[in-house]
Amino acid sequence: MDPAFNSLAGRTIDEGMSHDRPVATRPRNGRSPRALLQSVFREERFFLILSVFIGIFSGLAVVGFRFAIGWCRIYLLGSGAVLSPTRLLLAPTLAGLVIAILVIHVFPLARGSGVNQTKAALYIYNGYIPFRTAVGKFITAALAIGSGHSLGPEDPSLQIGACLASVLGRQMRLSRDRMRLIAPVGAAAGLAAAFNAPISAVLFVIEEVIGRWTAGILGSVVLSAVSSVVVMRWFLGSESLFRIPAVQLERPSELIAYAILGIVGGLASVLFSTGIATLRPKFKALPLWTQYFQPAVAGLLIGIIAWLGAPQIMGAGYEAMDEAMHGRFTWEFLALLAGLKIVATLLSFVSGTPGGMFAPTLFIGATLGAAVGGAEHVVLPHLSGSPGTYALVGMGVLFAGFLRAPMTSVFMVLEVSGNYSIILPVIVANTIAYVISRGLQPIAIFDVLTRQDGLELPSMEEQREEGILRVEDAMRPVADPVLDAQATLDQALRAAQSATAEELLVRLSPAGWNSVTKQQLGALAEQGKGGASLASLLPIRHIPSLHPDLPLETALRYVDRWPLVPVVSRADFGQLEGLISQRDVLERYREFGES
Amino acid sequence: MLETQQDKPAVARRWDLRLYIRQQPVMLALLAVLAVICFAGVSGLSRVYHAQRAALGNRWFSRGVADLNARHFESAVTESRAALLYSPDNYDYQLNLAEALIGLKRTGEAYSYLVNLWDQQPENGQVNLELARIGAQRGQTGQALRYYHNAIYAVWPGDQEEKRRDTRLELIEYLLSIHAQAQGQAELIALEENLGDDPSQQQRVGDLFLRAHDYEHALGAYHITLKSDPHHEAALAGAGLAAFQLGRYPLAELYLQEAVAGNPDDTQSADLLKTTEGVLQMDPFRRQLSVAHRDEIVVQTFATAGERLKSCGIRASAATEPGAKPTLADSWAKLKPKISEEYLRRDPDLVEQAMDLVFSIERQTSTTQTGPSQTSPQTGTTCGTPSGADLALLLIAKLHEGN
Repeated sequence: MDPAFNSLAGRTIDEGMSHDRPVATRPRNGRSPRALLQSVFREERFFLILSVFIGIFSGLAVVGFRFAIGWCRIYLLGSGAVLSPTRLLLAPTLAGLVIAILVIHVFPLARGSGVNQTKAALYIYNGYIPFRTAVGKFITAALAIGSGHSLGPEDPSLQIGACLASVLGRQMRLSRDRMRLIAPVGAAAGLAAAFNAPISAVLFVIEEVIGRWTAGILGSVVLSAVSSVVVMRWFLGSESLFRIPAVQLERPSELIAYAILGIVGGLASVLFSTGIATLRPKFKALPLWTQYFQPAVAGLLIGIIAWLGAPQIMGAGYEAMDEAMHGRFTWEFLALLAGLKIVATLLSFVSGTPGGMFAPTLFIGATLGAAVGGAEHVVLPHLSGSPGTYALVGMGVLFAGFLRAPMTSVFMVLEVSGNYSIILPVIVANTIAYVISRGLQPIAIFDVLTRQDGLELPSMEEQREEGILRVEDAMRPVADPVLDAQATLDQALRAAQSATAEELLVRLSPAGWNSVTKQQLGALAEQGKGGASLASLLPIRHIPSLHPDLPLETALRYVDRWPLVPVVSRADFGQLEGLISQRDVLERYREFGES
Repeated sequence: MLETQQDKPAVARRWDLRLYIRQQPVMLALLAVLAVICFAGVSGLSRVYHAQRAALGNRWFSRGVADLNARHFESAVTESRAALLYSPDNYDYQLNLAEALIGLKRTGEAYSYLVNLWDQQPENGQVNLELARIGAQRGQTGQALRYYHNAIYAVWPGDQEEKRRDTRLELIEYLLSIHAQAQGQAELIALEENLGDDPSQQQRVGDLFLRAHDYEHALGAYHITLKSDPHHEAALAGAGLAAFQLGRYPLAELYLQEAVAGNPDDTQSADLLKTTEGVLQMDPFRRQLSVAHRDEIVVQTFATAGERLKSCGIRASAATEPGAKPTLADSWAKLKPKISEEYLRRDPDLVEQAMDLVFSIERQTSTTQTGPSQTSPQTGTTCGTPSGADLALLLIAKLHEGN
């Protein structure tokens, strides 16, 4: 092994093999041990192996994080289901003070949820996230959630995973391209472990962080998510987060009931995100000294709400969600809980307390869903859905409406409940909520927060909805005659007389394309080769063809080398659909930019 | 100079070591070692964490169980919920919570928990039984019956047979309460086969057979009870009632006499005994009866039927149109002059004739024994529920129906 080993990574096996090594050291297949190692540890393969380790470390970190939250909860709020008023008021307040000091003086990057920081690492900082951020996030978020602040552990877990991945990537001296991608790999691992939902985590990272499906990153994201979930299940068990009975839609018309839930959830999402978007800059604009007290005041107010009769809003609230699913509360109280949770989460989040919004979103969705279901049952007692069903659908609704991750929202509901029978109501309600939220609040909450922080990260939602130019948008119809390579030069000259363009396409036999200019034809005729076939006169070259549905950027690779590129049908490569040249492509891009 | 020469290789060695460590396979090996160390560390934390949570969960669960047993349902719910904080999937904790919720009549909540428990262990007897009870409370008969049957064939801790028997008894009670006598009777027959000779169980089964209107089986069950305890008052009363309903009046008299003798406060048996004695005394067709005594009874019963007609306000019509069907009162009035011991001795056919009319009068003027007064379709008159001699005559009429 020598220091050059790393630099060899990425080359082909033959390139990396040393030819002057003694033959005796080579194995019988002709490859030296070094060559074998080099082939195994090519960077893309090494990245996959590293992804497994990222998953393992993220899983371990998230398990530790969950333990820390559990201990904070027991020691700060008490071990019973009914909490003492003193603890209710003091625990979140004092914890808020400590958190503020830690965030201001020790861990300034630990503020917020963590999703945008991970995106920033991908798009701005070349995958760099300081290790201190993970430590800070771990401590402050555990303290906040354990003391009753209305925040969740999922987004911090995502950031902790991304941070660990970044540290490992730096230690492994990965290339810049790989380093950029490593934060999402860790993020998927962290989120998967926090949710016990690998598919949702992968989808969320693809949908919200990376924004595109690429084979290079997908394998790593999946591996890290799966390995972190395996670790998490090793320590915390494999039970799904929520368990509800199988859903049976007795009549398709019952979907209307879920559609109503989608409408209500969409409106609630807009209310929630507007509240955060409006209040956060105002809180940030307050004098610096107030930031020492903002989390404490938020904690005190949350404690007062809990003391007044709604302790369910404290912390992540998974126990309360479970109770809502089991029909513990009346629909009126559930609606009240949803409203109070929005208030409590607004207070916690805009005060700068570190913690996530996933769990509160699920809480609001669950309580709102159960409330809407309960109210619908009062009006239409024959509806077959249980409170648990509505609560679960409500979770997906808020997830789609507030976090704007429609695909993730569907799979998240399936994974956290382990119940596939609920898919139809979930799809209907989530789609409606997403459309309403998108219509009333054009910018997604994560993008709003990014812009408030002065960063300009790509909006995944805007990317998804961005129009794509294709070859068919730039190609022009075939107006001039296409010459046949088997025709004689005289025949070709006669055909070319009617053409307006200088460059003419030639159809080769049995397949393929070439081109020739009128000037070339004239020059050949002057040499007295009028009776010879075009095929024998033209230089041997094959112009590649394109298809109408290909992205226009694909055409850019060819039009600078070929003056005319044929566009052919996918069904019949001999059928010419149009022609495209560099000028056509540039003209189309100019028009697109102007529009 | 010497030191410098010695240092150089050391620096070079360190440099080589750093380079060596930077190699990807070595880094991965180091990562693997680090992962194992971290794994061991988290395992240690996990043991502490889970032990603490298990202890807390058990503590709250124990309190919940104690409060549930003491029927302090509100506290039991709170404590079971606290226990579930530490072990959300714990079967026993969830079952305890569900039972406490049922105690508080919050069946909706309890149902959600129970259905989840059922998904995990569909063979659990207790869960099936609780689900059956909730179904019964909600009036969902099909669901209740399905869970009751599941519970009967389910797995029970402790004395499985006893639990299954109790469950079937509860199912029978439920079936009888919804007036599904035939299903209840079927379940009773199935139960009786596995019951053995336990007198108290047999007596309970006898009672249930009575409610299912299966008097033959009821009498059999009471017989078994009385075999072990001949002075069992409830069994005597039940056997008397069963024999009475079967029309075995001498046997009924025997049981009822003993029942009343054993428990003079048993007014129901006393009333039944009186009726039984009336039946036995007023039946002119019973065996070993002298002709004189029989005629005496016929005269008496004929007079009783006449009184019944009077009490119903039925009078003989003054003028009967030719061809019109005579009323009961007309027939009674027409036959009345012939009903004396002397006439009856001379014309024994009159006994049949007189008793046929008596039975017709009692049948048509009677209503159901427990029902309210009704209008007889023939008489068009409101008559009260027959009692005393009228009831006895009605029962005798039923006894000799078809003869």
